[in-house]
Amino acid sequence: MRLSKVFFRYSRRGPWVLRDIDLTLRPGSVIEVTGKNGAGKSTLLRLLAGIVPPSKGTVAQRPRVVGYAPDVFPIGQPFTVTAYLTHMAEIRGVSPAAIGRLADRLEATHLLEQPLGDLSKGSAQKIGLIQSLLDPPDLLILDEPFAGLDAHTRGELPAMIGEIAANGGTVVVSDHQNQLENFPGADHWLVAGGTVTTQAGERPKQVVIEVLVDAAEADEVEQKLHADGYTTRRAL
Amino acid sequence: MIPLVRFKLAAYTRSHRLLQPVIALFAMLAIFYSSPGPALEGYSDSAALLIVVFAWAARSLLDTEPPTQRLISMTAAGNPGREVTSGLVAAFAVNLGLAAVAIVAPLIIRFGVLPAPGDLARGVGLHLLGVCVGTALGALASAPILPSPATSLVALFGGYTAMLLLSLTPIGSFLVPIMPWMRATNSGRLDEVLLPIATATLLWSAAGVLAYLRLRRSRP
Repeated sequence: MRLSKVFFRYSRRGPWVLRDIDLTLRPGSVIEVTGKNGAGKSTLLRLLAGIVPPSKGTVAQRPRVVGYAPDVFPIGQPFTVTAYLTHMAEIRGVSPAAIGRLADRLEATHLLEQPLGDLSKGSAQKIGLIQSLLDPPDLLILDEPFAGLDAHTRGELPAMIGEIAANGGTVVVSDHQNQLENFPGADHWLVAGGTVTTQAGERPKQVVIEVLVDAAEADEVEQKLHADGYTTRRAL
Repeated sequence: MIPLVRFKLAAYTRSHRLLQPVIALFAMLAIFYSSPGPALEGYSDSAALLIVVFAWAARSLLDTEPPTQRLISMTAAGNPGREVTSGLVAAFAVNLGLAAVAIVAPLIIRFGVLPAPGDLARGVGLHLLGVCVGTALGALASAPILPSPATSLVALFGGYTAMLLLSLTPIGSFLVPIMPWMRATNSGRLDEVLLPIATATLLWSAAGVLAYLRLRRSRP
């Protein structure tokens, strides 16, 4: 998927929210989007998801199945969780069988019969995630997915993201809390001043060097190496 | 697209919002049919005056969902156009239901006997015109287009009143010809003017819907 010379603003006389964006999203990549509040992260995600068209420029080769989980899941709807997710599965034209499987994985089975309006923030966030995954997405867009999640789901989500990427899907995550900072191979995009700065995920190749030192000097050598920014491991 | 229309209708009928246009509908029907009169005249006035109820129902259906749910539905349906069209179809379907009540209720509460088939058909046709105008007006007054509730209500009721008043002027037959169709019915000349009236009404409704679709492109 490719964004070429993309500009975006919400109204004809409004200020540009995003200017002159050129981005390429490779299949199988995971992208972490960071930036200050109001920098245009959510707008960028909506452009990627195809919810809004660019004011200028083109978005080409968007994958067919797009999953989108908003930053705040809209609970003000007169459905139970199951009824809601069944409607979403029907809209996507997929079997509702995925609901149980995903709910099980995100520890949300006990929520299924609850009305949406009764959900806490974290529980609602899980339902937002489940609906975005009902049809295995080729492009998954998660807007602040970690906010309010319990520890189990915070741990499970990077694994699920990794599986989608491993199957050739692209995952874009806006992430205030830098939960994906250490996600192996993730690209990092910084949204600021209406532009997007990218930093590719390919980190420099690392090797392990064994250094033999006297036990008495171990602390001193380790401190020196730490001071130079190296990671050390000790073995007797 | 049908599952998305069903989802929107389910959300709307489960919310209390459907009650408002339904109550307005019955109150207006009670007024229209409180005194005796020919069936076709009753239908003609009802179709013209219920436009505001149809617009109200369309707006309330489109505004039932939280804005973020529209974004979810857009990605689930595959593209934003399907979400926007489904909303219009759902609003049109609700208004067809309201119009059906407006056609059937007077048969039970007032006319006593079935009107001539021709008059019934004309009544149905005029209500369909009303549904088209009302749905377009309601869509243009919905939250994505006019986020402020105050502006939206002024646009909805002001827009309807303006249509009503402007249709009294000499250029009225080129606008949405609400008054001309009521007058023509009352003077027994409806058949003579039905074609131009229907054409003008449908063209304006289509223009309203196209404007709505265009505006929604950048207003998810």
